[in-house]
Amino acid sequence: MTAHRLVAIVLALALAWPLAAAAQEPYPSRPITVVAPFPPGGVADLTARPVAAAMEKVLKSPVAVVNKTGAAGAVGMQFVATSKPDGYTLLLALSSISIIPEADKIFDRQPAFTVDQFVPIALISADPTILVVRAESPWKTAGELIDDARKRPGQISYSSSGIYGTLHMAMELLSHAAGIKLRHVPHAGAGPALTAILGGHVDALASGPAVVLPHIKSGKLRALAGWGDKRVAALPEIPTFKELGYSDAEFYIWAGLFAPRGTPEPVLARLREATRAAVAEPEFKSAMDKLQTPIAFKQGQEFQTFFDADARRLAAGVRKVGRVEDKK
Amino acid sequence: MLDTLGNLALGFSVALSPPILFYAFVGCVVGTLVGVLPGVGPLAGISLLLPATFGLDATRAIVMLAGIYYGAMYGGSTTSILMRIPGEAASVMTCIDGYAMARKGRGGAALAIAAVGSYVAGTASVVGLMLLAPPLAAFALRFGPPEYLALLLLGLFVLAYMSSGSMLKSLAMASLGLLLGMVGIDQMSGYFRFAYGRVELGDGLGVVPVAVGLFGVAEILATAGLAMPPQVVKPRLRELLPSRSEWRESAAPIGRGTVLGFLIGILPGSAHIIASFVSYALEKRLSKRPEQFGQGAVAGLAGPESANNSATSGAMVPMLALGVPSGPIPAVMLAAMMVHGVSPGPMLIQQQPELFWGFVASMYVGNVVLLILNLPLVGLFVNILRVPYPYLYPAILVFSMLGVYAVNGSVVDVWIMLVMGVLGWVLRKLDFETAPVVLGLVLAPMIELSLRQSLAMSDGDYAIFVSRPIAAVLLGAGLLLVLLNLISFVRRGLDWRARLALAEKGEETS
Amino acid sequence: MTAERVSGVALALLALAVLEECWRLGLPRGTLATPGPAYMPTVLALALLVAGVLVAALGRNAATLGDAGWREWRHTLAILATCVFVALALERLGYRLTMSLACAFLLAVVERKGLVPALLFSAGLAAGTYYLFDTLLRVQLPRGPFGL
Repeated sequence: MTAHRLVAIVLALALAWPLAAAAQEPYPSRPITVVAPFPPGGVADLTARPVAAAMEKVLKSPVAVVNKTGAAGAVGMQFVATSKPDGYTLLLALSSISIIPEADKIFDRQPAFTVDQFVPIALISADPTILVVRAESPWKTAGELIDDARKRPGQISYSSSGIYGTLHMAMELLSHAAGIKLRHVPHAGAGPALTAILGGHVDALASGPAVVLPHIKSGKLRALAGWGDKRVAALPEIPTFKELGYSDAEFYIWAGLFAPRGTPEPVLARLREATRAAVAEPEFKSAMDKLQTPIAFKQGQEFQTFFDADARRLAAGVRKVGRVEDKK
Repeated sequence: MLDTLGNLALGFSVALSPPILFYAFVGCVVGTLVGVLPGVGPLAGISLLLPATFGLDATRAIVMLAGIYYGAMYGGSTTSILMRIPGEAASVMTCIDGYAMARKGRGGAALAIAAVGSYVAGTASVVGLMLLAPPLAAFALRFGPPEYLALLLLGLFVLAYMSSGSMLKSLAMASLGLLLGMVGIDQMSGYFRFAYGRVELGDGLGVVPVAVGLFGVAEILATAGLAMPPQVVKPRLRELLPSRSEWRESAAPIGRGTVLGFLIGILPGSAHIIASFVSYALEKRLSKRPEQFGQGAVAGLAGPESANNSATSGAMVPMLALGVPSGPIPAVMLAAMMVHGVSPGPMLIQQQPELFWGFVASMYVGNVVLLILNLPLVGLFVNILRVPYPYLYPAILVFSMLGVYAVNGSVVDVWIMLVMGVLGWVLRKLDFETAPVVLGLVLAPMIELSLRQSLAMSDGDYAIFVSRPIAAVLLGAGLLLVLLNLISFVRRGLDWRARLALAEKGEETS
Repeated sequence: MTAERVSGVALALLALAVLEECWRLGLPRGTLATPGPAYMPTVLALALLVAGVLVAALGRNAATLGDAGWREWRHTLAILATCVFVALALERLGYRLTMSLACAFLLAVVERKGLVPALLFSAGLAAGTYYLFDTLLRVQLPRGPFGL
């Protein structure tokens, strides 16, 4: 062998070695970013942080939560949809992931992202929404409220976190299932929506249980029914709308982990394994207990089925709501 | 009374224990830092440090986060006074008279007055929080959309008092600001307005990039190119503290600002910046020398600075008394409480007395810490002005762009800041005021939302504004103020004509 | 061609542009009882239109545009160009590189300070602020090529 060829072979090996090593490097080799598309202190954020902490333990690699807020979550979701599908950028999405593209479509807008741009990893939690009214109001059961709404269409008001938001869609699903018409007063977020009902400016509110539980316990608000499949653990005497006969009124504010479509299968498998282990971690369990959010872990086909059914319900709901302005 | 003292003693025993003291101190220092940095405000600071509190217990976490919150209000005035760059959105009003004072060589005095005013406001408002939290919170809850609209319309009216120059030009600027506030998603109907496909504009232009751009960047664009850099009179050591007359002038505005800021802060959904704007207008209205405003009036600095500090404590009233967030910052603090297993709600004060009273006591302590931190630093900060301007302004630009970027991690914010910077530069050249633009930007979405929410609540009936007592009273007060001012305006006009007529007659006969 | 006339006309034109945009976007105006998304923008644009016209018509200030003192426009343009560069390059070149280049440009070219002090100052400022934000405040600042 000539000296030239020897040098060439050595150089080739020297260059190829790190590349080969990188190709073999197990996932994850860099810190992972979980994007929470809502401001700090919100449901997505508070779920994302324990998940990230637990996954960090399982994967033995740093997992950081980054808040990318804006446009009711659209900014963060669009960011992950368009980022590199290498498994280092993940999204913790709420049920609004199915709502936002539908809303864009009915306004003839270029959707900020589509659900197909994501591949689901796992469902973490699914907060059933509950219907609350003020303690002084005359309705003691959901049935009474619905009957009253039938007699006085459009008179009973409710607040929400924003149009086409999760709290709005929950009420819309109920309205369609029960054939009633309620008066919607959108607010700028879940906090103002809660303030509105506490101040007596609206009659009803659909809310995640955790925020209203203290007010129910102190007697300011009364829970009437829930949108879940099963009764809420903290309020066992409150029936579900399913039990009352409105099986279409099923709504969860769920939080799930997603990755951009195109992420390689082995990476996805590793992530799914990691989330399964993460939700079993005792610290994670206690963190979720403190937040009074039940863990509802679903993966693979189960999650896919749940997600598809939920997305279909919500998309139909959004289309039924249509453009609010056109109905005036 | 005895109960309160007993509880306070409990609180102090918690607050003065070394670990709590340490976290309060850390919070105050970080808060001051965050406030000094342009653009990065208390919300950004608290959000960034929220994860760091997860390992602590509830009291420590809340104490630290609160320290960041009111610390930022102290720090925000520093860059506003020295360099006319708002440290955070609420400090915009301080940029006006505070900077003018600095130009006259009274920068140290301005910083000291701001620090003391913030201390008095912070402490007095904590007393209010401590004694009156539950009844005030219940009152605040009765402010629904119609009441808000009435209040905000009064706030719009305040714009008339902000102008030192031509009122017509200020109104034009206010209209511009109001119009800029219309960018973003319409929360009542879901339409994207004027966003041109950019999802980042969905929440509107953002008051931080606009304020930093209109005031800070515009200032640099205007002064950096001058042959002579801005003549800042460098004060001597003796002149660092306010003179006796300056102290006297600031006493009443501090008192008024405290009460005003506290009341505005209690209302869920109000912003600190509104408290400082209203305080500025009030001081100008009550001043015996209103023409001084804009040229370095002490009252124009002391009032707004106190107002935005007491608004901080005010904002915590609904949070602690009812478990209801009055804004994004209390929402993060509530979340911090929930994460630690403390369920916020109406029973918090009874069920968690150590938390509540420890927190209240830590706020007293924190305010003292901040006063001690800020006063000696006055000398240090004023020395920043000695840095040669060609080195200083690139540093300011770097900090401004960094701060604005850091809030949302979005380059779109930096672009907004630059566009607003150019606009602010042009407006300065053409002798227009920029403060009404910021006020309009903040008020417009709130006014529109309140109006449409009220009409949604009443199903299109405008009578809702008069059938609700608080709204009716506020609207009536507003109408009265408008009438009074119209009358004095007309009278002045008549006077002017009469004087002109006399002068002409005088000329004819002479 | 006083400054007031020009600015008044500019404001009025902006107001007209907003009105046109509302119409083009097809935003429904709704009624007085149920205002739509175009209601308030239309009202405000009309207010701006009136204000702009009044400023142009009643502008008593006889200063012309030139009087405002635009002599330093080249300097201002340079600063502005630097800022635009930063906005464009921030996420592509990474924070430290972008800021060092921008700051060095301002000091060395625009302010005509020496090249060495300019580079030292800029690099120091960029690194120092990066440390402050990324490490102490835990804000993620963009990293460019070479991990800068």
